[in-house]
Order: sequence, then C-alpha cells, then structure tokens
Amino acid sequence: MGLAAFRTSSNKQGDSGAGASVGRRYVGLFFTLPAIIFTLVFFILPLGMTIFMSLHKWSLMGEHNFIGIQNYIDLLTRDSQFWNSLWFTTRYTLLITPAIFIIAFLLALLVNLPLRMIGVFRTIYFLPAVIGLGTSSLLWVWLLNDRVGAINAILKLLGLVDRPIIWLADPNYVMIAIIVSIVWKTVGFTMILLLTGMQAIPAELYESARVDGANYWEQLRYIMLPLMRRTFALALVLSVIGSYLAFDQFFIMTAGGPQNQTISVVYWIYKKSFTDFNLGYGASMSIVLLVILVVLSVIQMWLLRDDTTY
Amino acid sequence: MKRFYILLVGLLAIFAISIAPAVAQDPVTLTMWSRDSNQAFLRELVDMWNSSHPNQIDLTVIPAADFVTRVGVAAAGGEAPDLLPTDLIYVPSFARAGYLADITDFVAALPFADQLIPAHMFLGTYEGREYAVPFAAEGSVLLYNKGLFEQAGLDPEKPPTTWQEIHDAAVAIRALGEDTYGFYFSGNCAGCNAFTFLPYIWAQGADLLTPDGLTATVDSPEVRAALEFYQQMWNEGLIPAGAQADTGTDFLNAFTAGNIGMVGSGAFSISVLKNDFPDIDFGLTFLPGQEGGRSSFAGGDTISVTSSSKNVAAAFEFIQWVLSDEIQLSMFAARGQLPLRLDLADNEYSREDTRLITNAEAMGLGKTPYSFVYNQLYNDTTGPWLAMLQQAIFQGDIEGAVTTAQARFTEILASQ
Repeated sequence: MGLAAFRTSSNKQGDSGAGASVGRRYVGLFFTLPAIIFTLVFFILPLGMTIFMSLHKWSLMGEHNFIGIQNYIDLLTRDSQFWNSLWFTTRYTLLITPAIFIIAFLLALLVNLPLRMIGVFRTIYFLPAVIGLGTSSLLWVWLLNDRVGAINAILKLLGLVDRPIIWLADPNYVMIAIIVSIVWKTVGFTMILLLTGMQAIPAELYESARVDGANYWEQLRYIMLPLMRRTFALALVLSVIGSYLAFDQFFIMTAGGPQNQTISVVYWIYKKSFTDFNLGYGASMSIVLLVILVVLSVIQMWLLRDDTTY
Repeated sequence: MKRFYILLVGLLAIFAISIAPAVAQDPVTLTMWSRDSNQAFLRELVDMWNSSHPNQIDLTVIPAADFVTRVGVAAAGGEAPDLLPTDLIYVPSFARAGYLADITDFVAALPFADQLIPAHMFLGTYEGREYAVPFAAEGSVLLYNKGLFEQAGLDPEKPPTTWQEIHDAAVAIRALGEDTYGFYFSGNCAGCNAFTFLPYIWAQGADLLTPDGLTATVDSPEVRAALEFYQQMWNEGLIPAGAQADTGTDFLNAFTAGNIGMVGSGAFSISVLKNDFPDIDFGLTFLPGQEGGRSSFAGGDTISVTSSSKNVAAAFEFIQWVLSDEIQLSMFAARGQLPLRLDLADNEYSREDTRLITNAEAMGLGKTPYSFVYNQLYNDTTGPWLAMLQQAIFQGDIEGAVTTAQARFTEILASQ
C-alpha cells in the first residue's frame, strides 16, 4: 500500500509542477519522520529543557524556583571565570586549529599518493581517532610523566634536557603538551575528511591542467585548494566546535591547573553544575556557549561559501 | 458434632496463627544503588545476603561521577532506591534535602550502637536525628618505606611522630641517591590532600571550619605552620618535582616504585601493596601534629535508607546484618577491610598484620568535615582548598594563600 502510494506519487512528479497532491505530501512527511523524531527527541526537547532550566534556580538537590533571567545577568556581570575560560578556550582553538589543518592536509596529500599498501598508512594515521578521548588523555599523562614517561626519557637520551620537564605544571608547557596530544588524537579524522574532498575532484581537471602546462604546485594552488572549499568548511566547523567543547583533556590531564589556568568553558559548566550543584546556572552557560558556537559556525560557512559546481 | 466444630475452629485458629507472621512479612525486594568503587566486594556481600534471606536486594552500580546526579534526579521524582550507600561527605546535603529516612530509633536499638565509627555517625546526624551508619571505612595514615629507613640509618620500627621528625627522615632518605626522595604528595589533587593534609591541621587542634561547618577558620597559626611544613620540604627538593602536576594518578603509584620514603595514604593501600608489590617492606603510622598528637581523615561510605522507601524496617535489617559480628569478621576483616565497629578493630585477622590495627585506630580518632558545601570547598580541583596549597607550597606565598582561602571559604559558606 505504502509502496503503491509512493509509486503513484512519483509518477505524478513529472506531470505537474504546480499542485503536488495531498498524498505525496504525506509520503514526504513519512520519509522524513525518522529524522524529525530523532531531532525532536535528541535535540529540540533537551534544548527546550535546558532553556527552561536556565530560567530557574535549579539545584541538583532539593527544590527549584523560577528566577527569570537572573542566571544570565550573573553570568554577564559577576562571573569573571566564565570569561577567562572563554578566552582560554578561544586561544586554545586558535592555536590548535591551524596545527590540525596543516598536519592533516600534509598527511592527506601523502596518503593520496597512488602507492601500493597506502591503505596501511591511512589506517595507521587514522588509528588514534578511534581511541576514546579519556583513554588517550590518560595515556598522555603517563607519556609526559617526569619519572616514568617516555617523552622525558627520549629528550634526556637525546641530550636535549638535563632534568625532566614537568609538562603539566607550567602554563606554557601545558598548552604545548595538550595541543600535541590532541593533534595526535584528532589529526587522522581531519585527514580522512580532507582526503575525501581531494578524491572528489574529477581527474579530468588535473589532466587538462597538465595539458595546459601546469606543474604540481600550480595544480595544487589553482585546482585542488579552490575545489576543496566545501570540505575545508566542513572540517573547519567540526574542528572549531570540537575545540570549543574541549573538556576531557583538561579534566584528566591538568584538572584545570596549574593555578586554574586551563579551565575550558565546558569544564567551568561542569564545575558549576556538578560540583556546586547549580544546574540552572550551568544550563544558562550552555545556552550562551551554544549561541557563540552558532555565530562562529555561520561566520565560517559564510567565509568559505562556495557556489562552484562541476 | 459439637466436638467436631471445636476441633475445626481450633485447627483454623492454629492455621491462622501459623500463617499470620507470613502475611505480615511477605518477602520484599529492596533496591540499592552504589557507586562503582569497591563493587566486587559489595556484590559478594549482597549475594551472600540474598542466598540466606527471604528479602532480596537488587543492586544497581552507578559510575561514581554520575552518582550524586542520579540520586538527585531520582529523589526529586520520589524514585530513589531503598538502600543508599554513599560517600559520607554527601550525607549532610542529602539529609538536609530530605532524601534520607530518620533511622535514629533503629540505630539506638543496636546492641553495639556506641561502637560505630564516631566520625561516620557525626556525618550521619542532621538536626539531632540520625540518617546514616558506617558502611565502608577508609582512614588516612602515613605510609613509610622501611627498607629506605634502614638504608638511611633510621629505625624502621620508630616512625616519625612530629613534623620535624618527618622532615629529618625525609632529608636522610633524600641523601641516599639522586632518584630517591623523602616525601610525596599529589600536588594537583584536591581530594587527595583533604584526605592526607587536613589531619596535620586537625592534630594541632585547629580546623578550617567551625564544628557546625558554617564558619571559616582558615586564617590561623596552625594552618600557616602546616603549610610551612610542606613548603620547606618542597623547597629543599625532598619531594619529586612531578608532584606539582599530579592530579591524583600518582597518589599511590609514586610510593610503589620503591624510591619514596613517606607518603600520606589510606587503608586501601595496605592490600594493594601486599598483593601487587610484595618487595616493598612498608610500615604505617599516624599523621602527627607539629609537636606530637595525631589525627586522621575518616573517609569511606555510609549507608542510609531513603525517605521514599516503603520498607524502612526491612532495609535496616540488611544494615544490621552488615554490622553484625559475623559479617564484620568473616567478610570485612577477612578481606582486609577495616571493621566498621571500634570493638572489632582488634580481631584475629588484624592481629596477623598490626598495620591494620593502626589504621583502625586512626579511623577511630579520625575526623570528617561536616559541611553542605564540602564539594565546593575541598573536592573541587578549581576550588579554594587546592588553590591555597599550591599558592603556599609551590609559589611560597603562605600569607597570600591563607588570606585568599579565608575569603573564598567565607564566600562559599555564605552562598549555601
């Protein structure tokens, strides 16, 4: 029955552009229903709940009562740590995003070469991406350890340092250490995204460029890079959102230290919600972060907008 | 015929009497939630109860990080489990929020009521009524490496009893070699130091809070002295530099490498060291005060019945069974767990390893901060307690550290 209805409606598609039948509209609804339900249950409802909570003094224990936009007022006027955290997270994002992109792009170029066994290398570079972030953070805590860590042992062996570096106790070293660990963890994923973009470019374009005498760098500059705009946009948005939502690495590797200098925004939301038991306030910070991320994503999409078709 | 009726009524009466208790005590299934630490032991305990009692317990284990959230959500919806073992520091908050059932009368009826660990009972009391009894005991002590003590010319049977003695022993052990250190603590772990550093302050008769937990008393000579004690050992290089970054992952691991002289730790380390690191000959002593005295952080879990439970009496039967001589000895003491009653601290198992007696004694004289904002004050890695330690010990600014902490403690206490 459903199939028959579908067939009739798809037949009708050709004959009239103006008035699609009621039946066809229902079929459309039917096919999008799973996506609608999924979005409703796992995004719209929780979002509504979060907004609702953000307007309350909502303790993890005991009662909650409506306080209007007081949480937002407190956030804007009294919570300096939130703004410190936002600035810290922004700095972290500004440092880590180029690092990930440059390395991922170079790796993607490398594994795009038509060599035998190249799949093995793709797999190797991608492997860290399948490790849980919590697990990899703990792994790096031990790699960076001053007494038993491999990194200090290697540096000492190479004669680069006399005494072990306490990576996670100095604000500058912490940033380096965490960025290295996260690049290692996520670069494989960005590499795969960029590789997909590279392989989607039709080979004829390169061929005709070669016929016109373009060398490798010119092909890269004038064909590959411009045609990968959409892929870059996708990878960039995903990467920036991921960096802004950073939590595990700071929670596990530094616990916000040294001297509270590595508290990311999500870490601060976590602390307000589950250490101070102030869920309503945590919810209001989540909403503010959501707004910031939406704005940032729109700007990125606009900057990398692309109407090219081929 | 008449005789038949009498007989019949008599039989019915006997029948009625015989089934009456059964009707009154239909077996019930009790629900119980626990955090995932120590779950193997807990499962064994519950299985043992289930196989020997008509009332059954249905145990759900929840990841420790989610525990308070889950309890809060369930209690708000009136769907909390019957039995709730919990990290004891949350009991005042739970009791104040009305999540827990008043079990004062049940506790009073226990023949060993006055032998239950005093610090746990203190945390279980809210406005004069009792809401929790001990369920798992974990008292802090000072671990020391007897082998290193001997090598450094110290008497391994005479552990330090003052701060000066700890310092001097640390100097002697540090002199043994480049990679040998006198002392260790996890410098970036809030909870670890509440557990192992607060007792130095308590042993001086001082505290960071008034007994009711409502006023901050951080700014005191005793607190400054204790901070100076650690600061000096840090400045003299008696503590490995990595301690500054340790979020707690190295809390016991540092000691197990065998090149650390002394470290504050708890009862859990005894079985870990005995089973996994048999080569390390370790001793155990009290965390002392500056010129003597001793104290301990009495940590662990208490167990409560929730206010939404319809089977308070049945739930308490399980609690009473856990605290009985039989289970305390055959399950707790036999597995190297500290008994929950002072009168059982000295038992056939602890007599084989006197370190267990020392730990049980530490537990008996131990304290636990009573506060509705314990999490914010002491457990928070971004909170005032850890900030004070780091500013004083690593940056050398004791004056600023104490002043800031006093202000932040006061601010948090005022916000509750």
